Amino acid sequence: MKKVLSLLMVMALAVTTLVGCGSSKSASDDATKIAMITDSGDITDMSFNQTTYEACKAFSKANDIEFNYYKPTEDSDEARIASFNNAVADGYNVVVVPGYLFAPMIEDVAEANPDVTIIALDVSAGDFSDGYELPSNVCCFTYQEEIAGYMAGYAAVSEGYTQLGFLGGVAVPAVIRYGYGFVQGCNDAAVALGNADQVNVNYIYGGQFYGDDAIKAVMDTWYGNGTQVVFACGGGIWTSAAEAAKAVDGAKVIGVDVDQAATIDETEGTDGLCLTSAMKGLAATVDTTLQAVVDGKWSDYAGKVENLGLVSADDPTQNYVQLPTETWSMQKFTVEDYNDLVAKLYNGDIKVSSDTDNEPKVEIGFKTFDNIH
Amino acid sequence: MEDYVIEMLHITKEFPGIIANDDITLQLKRGEIHALLGENGAGKSTLMSVLFGLYTPEKGVIKKDGKEVKINNPNDATALGIGMVHQHFMLVDIFSVLDNIILGAEPNKFGFLTKADARKKVLDLSEKYNLKVDPDAMVEDITVGMQQRVEILKMLYRDNDILIFDEPTAVLTPQEIEELMHIMKELAKEGKSILFITHKLNEIMEVADRCSILRKGKYIGTVDVANTTKEELSSMMVGRDVKFAVDKVEAKPKEEVLKVENVCVKSKLHKNDSVHNVSFNVRAGEIVCIAGIDGNGQTEFIGGLTGLDDISSGKITLCGEDITKKSIRYKNTHGMSHVPEDRHKHGLVLDYTVEENMILQRYFEPEFSKHGILKKDAMREYSDRLSEAFDVRSGKGSKSIARSMSGGNQQKAIIAREMDRDHKLLIAVQPTRGLDVGAIEYIHKEIVKERDNGAAILLVSLELDEVMNLSDRILVMYEGEIVGEVDPKKTTLQELGLYMSGAKRDDRKEA
Amino acid sequence: MKEKTSFMKRPGAQTFIASVICALLGIVLGFFILLAMNPAHAFEGMYDILKNFFKYSNSSTTMMYYFGSTLVKSVPLILCAEAILFAYKAGLFNIGAAGQYTVGLMASLYTAIALGWNWFFCVLAAIAAGALWGFFAGFLKSKFNVNEVIAGIMLNWIALYLTNIVLGGEKVMNQSKSETYNLLSVNKGALLPEFLKEVFGNNQYMTIAIPITIIVALLIQFVLNKTTFGYELKATGHNKDAAKYAGMNAQRNIILTLVISGAIAGMAASMYYLTGIEHYKIASSVPGMGFNGIAVAFLGGLNPIGAILAGFFVEYITLGGQYLNTTYFNPQVADLMVAIIIYLCGFVLFLKHVMNKVGKTKVVSAATNANAEEKEAK
Repeated sequence: MKKVLSLLMVMALAVTTLVGCGSSKSASDDATKIAMITDSGDITDMSFNQTTYEACKAFSKANDIEFNYYKPTEDSDEARIASFNNAVADGYNVVVVPGYLFAPMIEDVAEANPDVTIIALDVSAGDFSDGYELPSNVCCFTYQEEIAGYMAGYAAVSEGYTQLGFLGGVAVPAVIRYGYGFVQGCNDAAVALGNADQVNVNYIYGGQFYGDDAIKAVMDTWYGNGTQVVFACGGGIWTSAAEAAKAVDGAKVIGVDVDQAATIDETEGTDGLCLTSAMKGLAATVDTTLQAVVDGKWSDYAGKVENLGLVSADDPTQNYVQLPTETWSMQKFTVEDYNDLVAKLYNGDIKVSSDTDNEPKVEIGFKTFDNIH
Repeated sequence: MEDYVIEMLHITKEFPGIIANDDITLQLKRGEIHALLGENGAGKSTLMSVLFGLYTPEKGVIKKDGKEVKINNPNDATALGIGMVHQHFMLVDIFSVLDNIILGAEPNKFGFLTKADARKKVLDLSEKYNLKVDPDAMVEDITVGMQQRVEILKMLYRDNDILIFDEPTAVLTPQEIEELMHIMKELAKEGKSILFITHKLNEIMEVADRCSILRKGKYIGTVDVANTTKEELSSMMVGRDVKFAVDKVEAKPKEEVLKVENVCVKSKLHKNDSVHNVSFNVRAGEIVCIAGIDGNGQTEFIGGLTGLDDISSGKITLCGEDITKKSIRYKNTHGMSHVPEDRHKHGLVLDYTVEENMILQRYFEPEFSKHGILKKDAMREYSDRLSEAFDVRSGKGSKSIARSMSGGNQQKAIIAREMDRDHKLLIAVQPTRGLDVGAIEYIHKEIVKERDNGAAILLVSLELDEVMNLSDRILVMYEGEIVGEVDPKKTTLQELGLYMSGAKRDDRKEA
Repeated sequence: MKEKTSFMKRPGAQTFIASVICALLGIVLGFFILLAMNPAHAFEGMYDILKNFFKYSNSSTTMMYYFGSTLVKSVPLILCAEAILFAYKAGLFNIGAAGQYTVGLMASLYTAIALGWNWFFCVLAAIAAGALWGFFAGFLKSKFNVNEVIAGIMLNWIALYLTNIVLGGEKVMNQSKSETYNLLSVNKGALLPEFLKEVFGNNQYMTIAIPITIIVALLIQFVLNKTTFGYELKATGHNKDAAKYAGMNAQRNIILTLVISGAIAGMAASMYYLTGIEHYKIASSVPGMGFNGIAVAFLGGLNPIGAILAGFFVEYITLGGQYLNTTYFNPQVADLMVAIIIYLCGFVLFLKHVMNKVGKTKVVSAATNANAEEKEAK
């Protein structure tokens, strides 16, 4: 035992000496260096993390800025904080974090690292503990997902679908806004078409941001019982919906966050499986904000929680919430119809409720199921 | 110039801290049966392992037909026509006899088994050498003797002409031994050369042409068996004179200690009882021996008696107390000592040290533990004392791992433990199995001493010499029944053999 | 020369050397993987992983903080390894430790959040739950001779789904976040008392779990080597038949062993989740802690103290992965490396075996006879 101990001591010594020699190379220069930390997913999730990652990377490349991403060892606040500290130790001074999961991390590290700019996507004031005031080195962005969801629902029903479904990830506010917006859109379109008594929406949350067999089984049931379109809304959960849809002729999936048409078609090996996608402008936000940091205009954002939505009636592609007109597989619902809809939403002719506490009141059939997990 | 088929010249094999073979020379003539004699630990197995390619010697050469050869692994040995029947058979239990014989040398055409040819060859061989086997029987179902014949056939099937038998008789019944001796002679007559490792002098006298003797890793000499005596061989082997007869006075049986009434034990293999209506008694101060050919229910009966197996009916009384349904622990602590048949399976925890094994049934007693904590010092003291008293020798004394000890010393350790425990009845099942003469002599002496000290002794043995020399009464077991009771002083080996083979039985009244 | 041989022949030394070789081999193989992925930065990558939290050497507070984190995260792994090696000594392969860990997790979080109990009782609940789960496996084994591996695997899944149901309810799980409530905000009393927090850079997760783990290891060491109970268990583990011959109660011992093993595994979960470092999320597979514990137990040479070192080492490498530069390496590389090291853990016994045969040129089972001869001739 003594020998073991002494051996250990020697090893420990060796390690410390080794470390002592490796002098820290983090030179504290003032150049902007951008880091991103992933949430529970990875940068290959074909959704939230990937979009953020690609936007950051493209921006860094274009502006010749050093960029790296960090993946926490677990899905816990402690691990996210460790990743943040790690990034800071590596000399990164702009940190982009996607998702509400990062709120506790921001509370923990923001004030202790005033020199580090934190750009938080999809983090709302409600995600922080009560009374927390955002320090000036942080800016949070939220989106009017209900409008994107509304447009997707409106388009689908206008296209002639009557049996619809909503598959959410975890019932977090952003997902709920998408979902309730979707239901409102379906309802309004059905009322306009006069077939509200025939339109039905099934509504469910998977309880996680990735697909699995249990979720696919539910989707199989839905599609098998006549559901035509499912709005798959939550990280990688769309895989379960897409797999189930593939097996049924004419069944469609609506993507979320980014234009998922190509991704879904490629993954499932079928064309036109994706009807459209309810997009929010993550990439645009990253781009604009990082540009502001580089241009020294951070003060525009410092300490704010920005709620992004429609900014233009004339050019829908400028908006932070939109449908991708070029890749959608709509036939009856035209681009003109879409532009029209955007204009009405922008002008306030149509109002979409962002209430996440109460279900929207609708005339169509609306049935909520228990969470899958 | 002699015609030597194999010569091992000046072989030296060292292990860390010990020389297992020290300059040993062994020359095997073509067509002879050459015995290799030595006590356990003399270096016989090491020497054979060198010949079989399991070890590489530090010094010395091996010659085949006068030409020097290198044997680096068993495949080289096989290629040179050397085959070995190991003490513990190397058979696959769940394969048939035929499959076991051809295993590793499967006959094939284009990769497909051609068993028909193999079967013919095996049957021819078995006919030629009178090796009766059923090629389709599963190995697990056949007797030990038949398993050994399978091993011999394996060698013959591979056309080996140098055959090594590593203590082949240790596991056989008297009849089987006789048969084996006969087979060996046949083989030698056909031109096979045989190396026969043993420490049983009778067998050497009967079958061997020459005999080489090893002692403590050293070569003592080679003698022509025709010109020697058992006494000479044994003194060469152990370095002193050995007595063969057991010195004992007339037994003075006293009160009844063990009473067994109508005990039946179910068989694990078939539906019938493997032990049927066994009744007898053992009194203090006498040695009662259950004799019989292996596999006639002795193991099952002892299992039922000691509690290792359940009995299906009957009654067992120990010192007037009905212990039929008592636990093993109860029996252990109420006067029953048991030297088990299989010292590796039951007798010892091989990975435990000697001292840990010495208290196997007593660790919970106040002498060795307090509040559930073992008293290591007491264990050491106790183990040292027993080792000393019973001459248990091992590398590191009480700290030695049981696995590292020789079979003889393992057995002595068990005997020491069982004899030292408080007991009125000592059950000893094949207590000298696989041991050398020195150890056998010692154990026999201890058992007689036990008897004279007033213990009741139930001995189970397959060795007729042991049965005749040691017991005061002999019960013969045949197919699960006691078929006769004889007095060793009035009976002959022939009569005993008749009982054992089922040819004769007394009409015993059920006790 | 002779002395050196005897040192090499000592089982303890052999195990230690074999374990170190396996660990080093794992690191070397990991290095080769890095080399294959990005030759130019492989050395740097390996350096980053090994340097680990020493990266913060310019700020001793941060460094100690992450040293503490590594300790905290090693705790459940070490305790699972203790549970497994304890059963292993008695000849039982407790693959059900994963399930026992899971029910321990369930019990500790349910009592802490839904019932608002104090930490001490939450830990007791976890121990009881794990013990119960171990009892099921032991009962099935001793009464119906159901192999403990089969029973263990089945019970693992039952544990998982039961935990998902019990912890998935509104009382315990924050439905909008899909994870269990933060103990700090709902029941501070359930958090384990802090331990040397100041020394470890104010790491709030540094709790008495760490000294408790060491105490448990020492206790197991003691029970196995010094008590009649340990004597019985090891005898049963080495040789069931001899244990029966000696009159030991095999059925009772099987149940008792698995109950104790389960209790330790259940406790492992409470020692982790009651620090508040991680929240439970609905999972679709059994937590890997119990399985990794098997590897750690073997890497630790099936020695209670060795398991502490092995557990810390595995966690050190696991956490080292996050320091890899993601520009050059996929962060999963570290997981791959740990997987390889864990895989190599299985070779500890093999390496020991090889070392035992040093000096003998051939390794053949038939050699045991001669082995005995050689020893006796001494």
